[in-house]
Amino acid sequence: MKRRIVRARVSLLVLVLAALVVLGVALIGGPPQRGLAGSAPAPQPQKPDNSACLACHSKPGQSYQLPSGEVLSISVDPAVYDKSSHANVACQVCHTNIAGFPHPLNAAQDTRAYTFQYKDTCKQCHNDQFKQLSDSVHTQLLNGGNRNAPVCSDCHNPHSQPTIQTDANGNPASVEHAAIAKICSHCHNDIYNQYVNSVHGSGIAENKNPDVPACTDCHGVHIIQGPDSPGFRINSPTQVCGKCHTNPQIMDKYGISTQVLNTYVADFHGTTVTLFEKTDPQAATNKPVCYDCHGVHNIARVDDPTQGIALKQNMLKACQRCHPDATTNFPDAWLSHYIPSPQKYPVVYIVNLFYSILIPTVIGGMVIYVGSDIYRRNFLDRRLRKGKKQDEPEKPPVDPEAKG
Amino acid sequence: MNAESKKITRFTLLQRIEHWLLFLSFTTLAVTGLSQKYALSGISDAIIGFLGGIENVRAIHHFAAIIFMLEAVYHLVVIGYKLLVLRLRASLLPGSEDVIDGIQSLLYNLGVRKELPRMDRFNFAEKLEYWAMIWGLVMMSLTGFMLWNPIATTHFLPGEFIPAAKSAHGNEAVLAVLAILVWHFYNVHLRHWNWSMFTGKLTRKEMEEEHPLELEAIESGASAVRPAPRVQSRRLAVYAPVALLASAGLIFGIYKFTSFENTAIKTIPPAITGVAVYVKQTPSPIPTQPPAPTTAPLRTLAPGATAGLLTWDTGIGQVFADNCKTCHGNAGGLNLGSYANAMQGGADGPVIIAGDPAISLLIQKMSGSHPRTLSPAALAQVEAWIKAGAPEK
Repeated sequence: MKRRIVRARVSLLVLVLAALVVLGVALIGGPPQRGLAGSAPAPQPQKPDNSACLACHSKPGQSYQLPSGEVLSISVDPAVYDKSSHANVACQVCHTNIAGFPHPLNAAQDTRAYTFQYKDTCKQCHNDQFKQLSDSVHTQLLNGGNRNAPVCSDCHNPHSQPTIQTDANGNPASVEHAAIAKICSHCHNDIYNQYVNSVHGSGIAENKNPDVPACTDCHGVHIIQGPDSPGFRINSPTQVCGKCHTNPQIMDKYGISTQVLNTYVADFHGTTVTLFEKTDPQAATNKPVCYDCHGVHNIARVDDPTQGIALKQNMLKACQRCHPDATTNFPDAWLSHYIPSPQKYPVVYIVNLFYSILIPTVIGGMVIYVGSDIYRRNFLDRRLRKGKKQDEPEKPPVDPEAKG
Repeated sequence: MNAESKKITRFTLLQRIEHWLLFLSFTTLAVTGLSQKYALSGISDAIIGFLGGIENVRAIHHFAAIIFMLEAVYHLVVIGYKLLVLRLRASLLPGSEDVIDGIQSLLYNLGVRKELPRMDRFNFAEKLEYWAMIWGLVMMSLTGFMLWNPIATTHFLPGEFIPAAKSAHGNEAVLAVLAILVWHFYNVHLRHWNWSMFTGKLTRKEMEEEHPLELEAIESGASAVRPAPRVQSRRLAVYAPVALLASAGLIFGIYKFTSFENTAIKTIPPAITGVAVYVKQTPSPIPTQPPAPTTAPLRTLAPGATAGLLTWDTGIGQVFADNCKTCHGNAGGLNLGSYANAMQGGADGPVIIAGDPAISLLIQKMSGSHPRTLSPAALAQVEAWIKAGAPEK
């Protein structure tokens, strides 16, 4: 009984000591709680106390004039922030350079420089995405001195970005998917205007159709490759267009053939591009890929009267971009993704049929004759010689079975 | 020398040279052509890789086609000389006797007939092969012209004839190669090795078996009859200029065949719509900055940079940036984006062993199977750099 009391007292002592150590560490003042170190986001269990900051910054319409003359908004709407995915993140997790009041003087000369002060801060929690971005054409441009190239916060406003909703497969939900192009349009507005009127973009703009591609479906999300790079060009038929256009689950809804990639690869142009893709995925080739004929962001239905390349005059224009001397007969040299049949491209069909008969007939005939010669020399002659040796020279050399 | 092994001349040296030209150009055409027809098979991969890429394969195919056609022109001139000047018998001309010979040979093989038919200088099997060759030459030249000059062709034929020509060209090739493999290989290599295209001779025994009628003519002296020298030179005086003109015309035709049109542009096609990439939205959600001067200009290798030893900073880093960084950047296992990361290696440990390129995984990968390999010049630079201890500065 006594021993049990002692044990209980020791436990209590350990508990109190541990609590004191934890409190002491907290009081000595370790670095501001980041809590989300590493790449896995681990939101704090409860909302941080941002009241000190919000005491001033929650007032709307506050601003700060930078030496360039630009005015920086320094208001944060707590209602919006609380709904954002960062609601559980304390201000100082990102704003590490602002501590105490009055704040230290900020060295930024203009708003862009101010944004760049925080361009690396997201990697504390979003390391994978940050790494991908650092390999992208956007970061290459930024490192090359282009200050318009985007950093994280240009696409994801850190004070308002809600958590991205995903579907069962982890892809962005259709409402999110439909909003992607709007983000890109901030900087690529002319392209956006083409896109929203295209066969792809109009589907997204009108009814948030998740089957049609958003910008990121073709260009990638954070690791966006320069679309004028040889690699993007060569890999695009299989890795961009082919992803959806060979998928019957999507294409059957719209009555679009899934043979488009096969038939392209079977043709001279597609064969060459596929060979380059296999042997040197970064090689520069001028053989056309899907978008050279179908258009890029302004891609239209093939029966579109002004642009559709099912119409011969439109196809001819596409041909002439690489074959300037091409004339009206020339577009038919391309089978338009059809497999030759008596109705479509009958001449090709007949040639194929002719050879599918001629080759087996000729080679089969040769094989029959060669077979007969082998039979004669290796079996019949030997048997006849054997027969002669056995002194039966008068025996007819014909074996009744051999006639068959 | 006994009578059976006595050698009888079958082909002159010039005829044998013709055959070798044909053999080399045909084989080259078959290898480079079929690897294009079946471009996605594993064997084609190996062939195309060995020949240095599809553009090289096509150039070699075109070159072999020119040799093939020039040989055909020469052959035509020689045939003309033999038939018109020497007035020799057209021994390759097929006739009804060849059909009979073929049927009788088959029956003999099956044991129905006791005797092989007696055949002349060229038996039915050889005539079949020769005329199949001529048929192939005509078909391949016609369809080859259409494929080489598709725009010119579509001036006078429907466009659909181009893919039809492609189909015929490829199928004809399959037919020709199979015929060579089955018919030619069997008859002159497997049945018994026929030396006449190497030595020009056949033994009397072989002649007796395969060309008894010709043997008779040779031994009776009938085949050695030549026109009187005066007659021959009179004929030649007419034939030579005609042959010269005709062959000049044909060679000019081959030249036009190969240079008739510039089918396509040589550059990357222009973007289909001249839309500007960077156009900010107005009113802009993001303030715009004029592009500032590039602070860190991209280094490029000087044209003659192979001579001096490079360090990471003076070029090796750029080699990796240009060739590897798309995959091996910050997101890949191995990061070749900076010197420290490159030296640290990837999931399989270090890839650069300073001082020893041979055991460096990076060099091994580059010399073996990797989706992308460095150019030989760049690889040599990297190897030299590792050998020198992989210096950073």
